[in-house]
Amino acid sequence: MDIRISDDVLADDAEAVITVWFVNSGEQIVKGALMVEIMAAKVQYEMAAPASGVLNIVAGVDAVIRKGDIIGCIVVG
Amino acid sequence: MNDTNPRRLTIARAMAEAVQQEMQQDPKVFVMGEDIGALGGVFGNTRGLLEEFGGERIRDTPISETAFIGAGVGAAQDGMRPIVELMFVDFFGVCFDAIYNNMAKNNYFSGGNVKVPMVIMTSTGGGYSDGGQHSQCLYGIFAHLPGMKVVAPSNAYDAKGLMTAAIRDDSPVIFMYHKGLQGMGWLGTEAGATVDTPKASYEIEIGKAKVVREGTDVTIVGLAMGVHNGLRAADQLAARGISAEVIDLRSLVPLDRDTVINSVRKTGRLIVVDEDYQSYGVSGEIITSVVEHDYSILRAAPKRVAYPDVPIPFARPMEQFCLPNAEKIVAAYDAM
Amino acid sequence: MAVPDETKLWMYKTMFLSRRFEETIEKIYLEGKTPAFNMANGPIPGEMHLSNGQEPVAVGVCAHLNAEDVVTATHRPHHQAIAKGVDLKRMTAEIFGKATGLSGGRGGHMHLFDPAVNFACSGIIAQGMGPACGAALSRKMQNKPGVAVSFIGEGAVNQGAFHESLNLAAVWNLPVIFVVEDNAWGISVSKKDSTAVARNDVRAAAYDMPGYYIENNDPIAIYDIAGEAIARARAGGGPSLIEIETFRLAGHFMGDAEAYRPAGEKESLGSRDPIPAFRALLQSEGVTSTQLDELEASAESEVAEAISFAQDSDYAPVEDALTHVFA
Repeated sequence: MDIRISDDVLADDAEAVITVWFVNSGEQIVKGALMVEIMAAKVQYEMAAPASGVLNIVAGVDAVIRKGDIIGCIVVG
Repeated sequence: MNDTNPRRLTIARAMAEAVQQEMQQDPKVFVMGEDIGALGGVFGNTRGLLEEFGGERIRDTPISETAFIGAGVGAAQDGMRPIVELMFVDFFGVCFDAIYNNMAKNNYFSGGNVKVPMVIMTSTGGGYSDGGQHSQCLYGIFAHLPGMKVVAPSNAYDAKGLMTAAIRDDSPVIFMYHKGLQGMGWLGTEAGATVDTPKASYEIEIGKAKVVREGTDVTIVGLAMGVHNGLRAADQLAARGISAEVIDLRSLVPLDRDTVINSVRKTGRLIVVDEDYQSYGVSGEIITSVVEHDYSILRAAPKRVAYPDVPIPFARPMEQFCLPNAEKIVAAYDAM
Repeated sequence: MAVPDETKLWMYKTMFLSRRFEETIEKIYLEGKTPAFNMANGPIPGEMHLSNGQEPVAVGVCAHLNAEDVVTATHRPHHQAIAKGVDLKRMTAEIFGKATGLSGGRGGHMHLFDPAVNFACSGIIAQGMGPACGAALSRKMQNKPGVAVSFIGEGAVNQGAFHESLNLAAVWNLPVIFVVEDNAWGISVSKKDSTAVARNDVRAAAYDMPGYYIENNDPIAIYDIAGEAIARARAGGGPSLIEIETFRLAGHFMGDAEAYRPAGEKESLGSRDPIPAFRALLQSEGVTSTQLDELEASAESEVAEAISFAQDSDYAPVEDALTHVFA
């Protein structure tokens, strides 16, 4: 399952930066667990894992992202 | 949900989680400070708490440090367990009486009859051009004065355990968190501070240092950001075949002198990394503790890599020039 | 608010006891300090700040307080400690620095702590105000009864802590009463030379709380107003500020030559001593000399007993200085 920056995380077309991944690439993550933190201007937003499985990170810490970008995926299972 | 999956936290979140878990257990614990409510703390350390516990127990205060830190003392003496935020340690000047003359001394003045189980959490550290009144560490000031315990974690795992211990301690504890380790994206974070942190509650004993990297040729002792500088220096030295042992003090009061002494007995060489001003402080205390114990264990004069005795300059090149870093630690080794 | 008869008798006895205590302490304090005044000498070394003349403030306010109510006081605490019910023997022993003192000798006269009656005092001006707010906050949060009273001098109102504490108490609606003992002198500087307003009750308006000024060191008037303020706080009505015109019959501290006081001021104060005045008032209301003499005798013997207890007690072993740093 792709991890996409949705509208309710980043409302407008502003740039944001990934500040923290709370689980490493290749590790198990549980649905609903704290997954990643991104920052737009000085405000931080967090995303929880949309599914349980193995996390693969595409955009790492300090990557610049926008609404709609895919930052990683979860291999469900 | 499986609570044992590895999960990293920033120091900010680790602090908030420790406070949250203690507040869930003990109705006496509450938090006061500037912007710790709706904002979740300027440095993220009370994130989510207002939503969970409400405004009675998570209290935003007016800009009145003397009054609300004094109030923390009075509430603690009356059976509550307040956690009070002093937003920047540099602000201690406006409220230090309440801290060092009341909070720290009333247990003693009362012969142990009146306890002050209070935590003051306060941000320290520079390196991001916040200027001379918002970048200080001041470890020496708080460690020097009797009656308050002082802790300064270098990573989220230690931060959560030390915060839990601090809240449970019946003595007053100053919890000093370094802004550059906190995990706030807007001022840059040392990646090594964001580490696996257990979901379950746990304590780390206040007053115990940790050997975070074993070695045989030199002992590097540091605190908070200094630990990360020390680890980077150890990597650089390792590339040259030199094995450095790095000690994370974790606490300043009580101070774990034994761990330092045992390490220097092994390596014979001591470098202390201290982001606080060099003179009359932590670096002098560590070195003296070793020397007065047994100076014959030293094979070379000890060195300190500390902030010079100057107010912290604003301009980035100047500030970076003054700060301790891995290169200065390596240079100190080479000068031994 | 009328003062019940037993309360009046308590007030008289307590004022008398407090005065006798201070006079006795003064004599002992001066031992070893004449002809040359060196404060390190004698059975009671250090500083000494006596409350002679200010007794009405202590009894007028503390008559309304229970053991569970919290009092924070200043470097001039004896009358308030006595009126609050602090253990007199242990307090005296603490003033003498003995092992049997409230803190085993670690605190002394400016750092008296008696948790049994929730009394504490501190030597830093205005720094008892924040803790009084904190104690009031604690009771509110725990839904437990009790109000806090912060006694300060008229010099303290110019400290930042005063303004911060009043504001905080008002914003959080805390059950705390701030009582200013106006003895007109901050060591050697008079109130009119240090304070922008003539009477500090007007400052209460800046913090949206009731403010009162009581003239002439009158125990009955103090009882009345303090009762109103304390009742308000107990009922959840929040903080109040009370300033009371009182006077110190002695110097700021023992050894104070008081050259700064205008000629004749102290002498004229002697004629306004509140204790003989109160005795006369009680007699005019029908209390007999015998009754009053008995109260006085009882007070004298309590003071004597406390002083002997302190004098006969030993000092703690010197190594005790290293203990009780942490809980």
